[in-house]
Amino acid sequence: MQASLLGYYSHLALRSFRRNPGLTALMVLAIAFGVAVCIMTLTVYHAMSGNPIWWKNDRLYTVTMDSWDPNSGFTRGNAETHLPPPLMTYRDATTVLHAGLAERTVVMFESSGVISGTGGPPLRTDTRFTTGDFFPMFDVPFLYGSGWSRSADDPPQPVVVLSRSMNERLFAGANSVGRTLRWNDHEFRVVGVLDYWFPRPLFYDVTEGSFAPPEDLFIPFAWGRALDLRSAGNVDCWKAEPLDTSEQFFNSECVWLQTWVELPDRASRERMQAFLDNYWAEQRRGGRFGRPRDNRLTNVGQWLRDQQVVDNDNRVLVGLAFAFLLVCLINTVGLLLAKFLSAAAITGVRRALGASRRQVFMQHLTEVALIAGTGSALGLGLGALGLAAVHHMYAAAHLGRPGGYQELMHFDRTGVLWAIALAILATLAAGLYPAWRVGRLPPAVYLKSQ
Amino acid sequence: MLKMQDVSKVYRTDLIETYALREFSLEVSAGEFVAITGPSGSGKTTFLNVAGLLENFETGSYRIDGTDVRGLSDDQRSRLRNERIGFIFQSFNLIPDLNIYDNVDVPLRYRRLSTRERHERIGSALDLVGLSSRMKHMPSQLSGGQQQRVAIARAIAGDPAFLLADEPTGNLDSLMARQVMELLEQINELGTTILLVTHDPELARRAQRNVHLVDGQISDFRTYEPRAAPDAGLAHA
Amino acid sequence: MSLSVRPILSALMRNRTGAVLVAMQVAIALAVLVNALYIVVQRIEKMQRPLGIDVDNIFVVQASGFTDRYDQTSSMREDIDYLRSLPGVVAASPSNGIPLSGSGSATTLTAHPGVHSTDGFNYYEVDEQGLDALGVRLVAGRNFRHGDIEPSRAKNDASSFVSNVILSRATALRLFGQDDPLGKAVYDDLGQSATVVGIVDPVIGAWVGDRHPDWVMFMSRLPSGRYGAVRYLVRTRPGARDAAMQQAESHLSRSNPDRVITFVRTLNYFRDLSYLGDRSMGIYLLTVTLLMVAVTCLGIFALATFNVTTRTRQIGTRRAVGARRADIVQYFLVENGLITTAGVVGGCALALATGYWLSIQYELPRLNLYFLVGGVLLLWGIGQLAALQPARRAATVPPSVATRNV
Repeated sequence: MQASLLGYYSHLALRSFRRNPGLTALMVLAIAFGVAVCIMTLTVYHAMSGNPIWWKNDRLYTVTMDSWDPNSGFTRGNAETHLPPPLMTYRDATTVLHAGLAERTVVMFESSGVISGTGGPPLRTDTRFTTGDFFPMFDVPFLYGSGWSRSADDPPQPVVVLSRSMNERLFAGANSVGRTLRWNDHEFRVVGVLDYWFPRPLFYDVTEGSFAPPEDLFIPFAWGRALDLRSAGNVDCWKAEPLDTSEQFFNSECVWLQTWVELPDRASRERMQAFLDNYWAEQRRGGRFGRPRDNRLTNVGQWLRDQQVVDNDNRVLVGLAFAFLLVCLINTVGLLLAKFLSAAAITGVRRALGASRRQVFMQHLTEVALIAGTGSALGLGLGALGLAAVHHMYAAAHLGRPGGYQELMHFDRTGVLWAIALAILATLAAGLYPAWRVGRLPPAVYLKSQ
Repeated sequence: MLKMQDVSKVYRTDLIETYALREFSLEVSAGEFVAITGPSGSGKTTFLNVAGLLENFETGSYRIDGTDVRGLSDDQRSRLRNERIGFIFQSFNLIPDLNIYDNVDVPLRYRRLSTRERHERIGSALDLVGLSSRMKHMPSQLSGGQQQRVAIARAIAGDPAFLLADEPTGNLDSLMARQVMELLEQINELGTTILLVTHDPELARRAQRNVHLVDGQISDFRTYEPRAAPDAGLAHA
Repeated sequence: MSLSVRPILSALMRNRTGAVLVAMQVAIALAVLVNALYIVVQRIEKMQRPLGIDVDNIFVVQASGFTDRYDQTSSMREDIDYLRSLPGVVAASPSNGIPLSGSGSATTLTAHPGVHSTDGFNYYEVDEQGLDALGVRLVAGRNFRHGDIEPSRAKNDASSFVSNVILSRATALRLFGQDDPLGKAVYDDLGQSATVVGIVDPVIGAWVGDRHPDWVMFMSRLPSGRYGAVRYLVRTRPGARDAAMQQAESHLSRSNPDRVITFVRTLNYFRDLSYLGDRSMGIYLLTVTLLMVAVTCLGIFALATFNVTTRTRQIGTRRAVGARRADIVQYFLVENGLITTAGVVGGCALALATGYWLSIQYELPRLNLYFLVGGVLLLWGIGQLAALQPARRAATVPPSVATRNV
């Protein structure tokens, strides 16, 4: 009975569409555009704001200490951030590293060097100098080999880990573990090759554009000092002090290192916080840390918010998208209502002939569902097209490296689920009220006039 | 005051031409109460539309107060309708979104009268039909007979020279129909010319003159004794 | 006006759901339109501000040495000589930073020694052709001379200053106010001083998103290449850029086996990349806003059409009692005008609230009221246009509809 009624309702709906094809098309398009715009912005927003390592949100913390100028807070682009500097001085970062309090500790920076000695032409590439805990700490997947052990950190062993794409470029994708390459003319031995790994945003170093892919090369941190390298990322200094020698630089107040710790439980967090505060007080007695105490352990979610990884533009666009969807839905409600009420006399006859209120409601809801369903499906398609257009816009600008914006601009599975949920919600929002209104019409009023 | 001479009105479709009015001639003087009768499809409604300047006609001439209405622009025809003609419809045609007062006000609005004058006219028109206590009601809150009385009030509020009534009692039961007819007779006695279109011979008999239409032509004239001679002095104020 | 508003309004109020829905659309559309246009105009202003740089005729070469045999000084000398010899090249200079690219250096700077300051000034280390290689205009003082140019800082020297600097006018204003800066000294945070020999205006630094992108200083020194790369800025005659780029790339990538050419790119590339976010934001905002206004107009159109079709008989009655065609058109326009006005009034409040919220939340400048006025007029006008066709159609309803018994 119910099934046959549903067929009948669909049949009625199709007849109704044929009666006003223009109006029907308008409603379908309005929903489609609303859903499409929402999906586009939400996909981008989701990719930008997601916590790419959420499962470790209660274990992973970045360490920051306000070692900045006693007279003024840290600034970026000549505007104050009201936060400690996002990076640490060499002295403070290595103190955290050597304390060994955390289950894992990573201190690192990004540099740039030229790879040679693998047969191909020399190649300049971004390289991360990091402690070996990096790989287990961030759950980095390996294709071949593995990272290096803590014993290879200090004194630093000449070992290197490659990204999958760099391994493809240098060694045609073969298992290159044990092979060697030259980095700025120093020889390193490959110990591991990563599998595809694109944490978005690039939470562990947000200073270099948050949607850059990870580096292509990983080398033990201590090589930085051995080779007297400087960070290719931000180096922020406030103090008037000579920075001429390596010694001066590494002992300076310049901040340039990312510091991450893995703290599995509350006790270990409290221990780490107490350690930082003690260290801070001790250093303050020695004349450092002139600002109010602000030593932070920040988890990834908070970190991405603090560093405004999702820029304001994206938030504004999400608001805009929802405003647009709202307008489209209101539009559809208005059109549906107008359409249903203009056929009220016919509905009145149906009621007189014995259709129940519920049946009238269901009949109209079927019509709504068909319209909104079609609109939402169209919206999904349009949204995908729109994302392709955005992708094209960014790709045309040669944002070059694989994994950048290109990886961003595709639906992932949760994205599609979100979109479908949104479409269903839109259907209900647009259709329930008109169907309800028309179901509540007293039949007699519309029979009386003629 | 109203003179049609050999008026013809044709409805054309791809295949056939139908004469709704065929060389129709009729003269109505001020103060008359004329009934137009005839079977369905005889051209009654067409006559009403042509007489009321709602539709044009092909041939012949039609004068109102000596003015030839052929060749008048739409605006001029609208104006004539507004000032000289009052309409009463079978299905009342009250505007459902407006209350009684505003419904009666509709034709006056198009005449650029002062607020005070409109107010007075609406008041006296509603007084005449006995509904001044219902000014704020909506049409749906009134019975059919009351709605038709509001329609009559709307028709006479503008003080037209003649009323065109199209089956004014067609949607009413007999008691209400009688009230409406009495009201029309009362208005006629006050001097307004009335053309009543009906298929009901009973109603037609209450008019002074009866014009019977068949196939767009007059088939029969019948003049009845006036119920009471209209006061000559009041005729056509 | 033969139609007073009250009966139209009361008729509206009896069928208000449709009207309220349309008014809501108008309100949201207005709020979005006004704020979006305001943001777009700001972005356009940002993108169109005078750069002072001959962007279209400049390309950038980056080279990285990677062996112990690599000698930066001689390599830089050879490369620059070669680049200057290319046909069509006007000027070429090494540089530490690339304008508009997000890659550069900054330092604090004061007009008096020992004064504390947090102002960051973007600096370019260039040689005597530096200004010409960018095409910036010297408005006072003199350019660097060959003899002014100091060698690159040694690897273990991160803090020595230079003797001569050229400032942007914005920098001079910040440091010296209205005083004549020529011949005055500027100081770094170690208290070392340099003499101001020239003023350029306008010019832009490496960071387009900086609060003061025009706080710029030129230093008369070859860049150090500390981070493993040296850059060359090359300016050509109009039309000669692409050929020169090709020649430069093919020659330089083979001329020295101890270094690689990382890239040879037009300055346009970096500018477009830097403004990509602003540009896509602008395009996106405009597209969605236009769509929203279009949907709203369709809503207005549909409501008016619906009103006309459902009121055919009423229109006929009005015509029968003497309404002219113009009266009918007017009726529907007034009705629509009332709905739009209600929406616009609500929209003003919504627009101001949104603008205020945006300015608080995202530190955007407060909404300019001219935009609000413009948006109101625009939306109101478009709303009336959308209702015009249905209103006209209403006027064609023949008065005889009134006598038709359906």
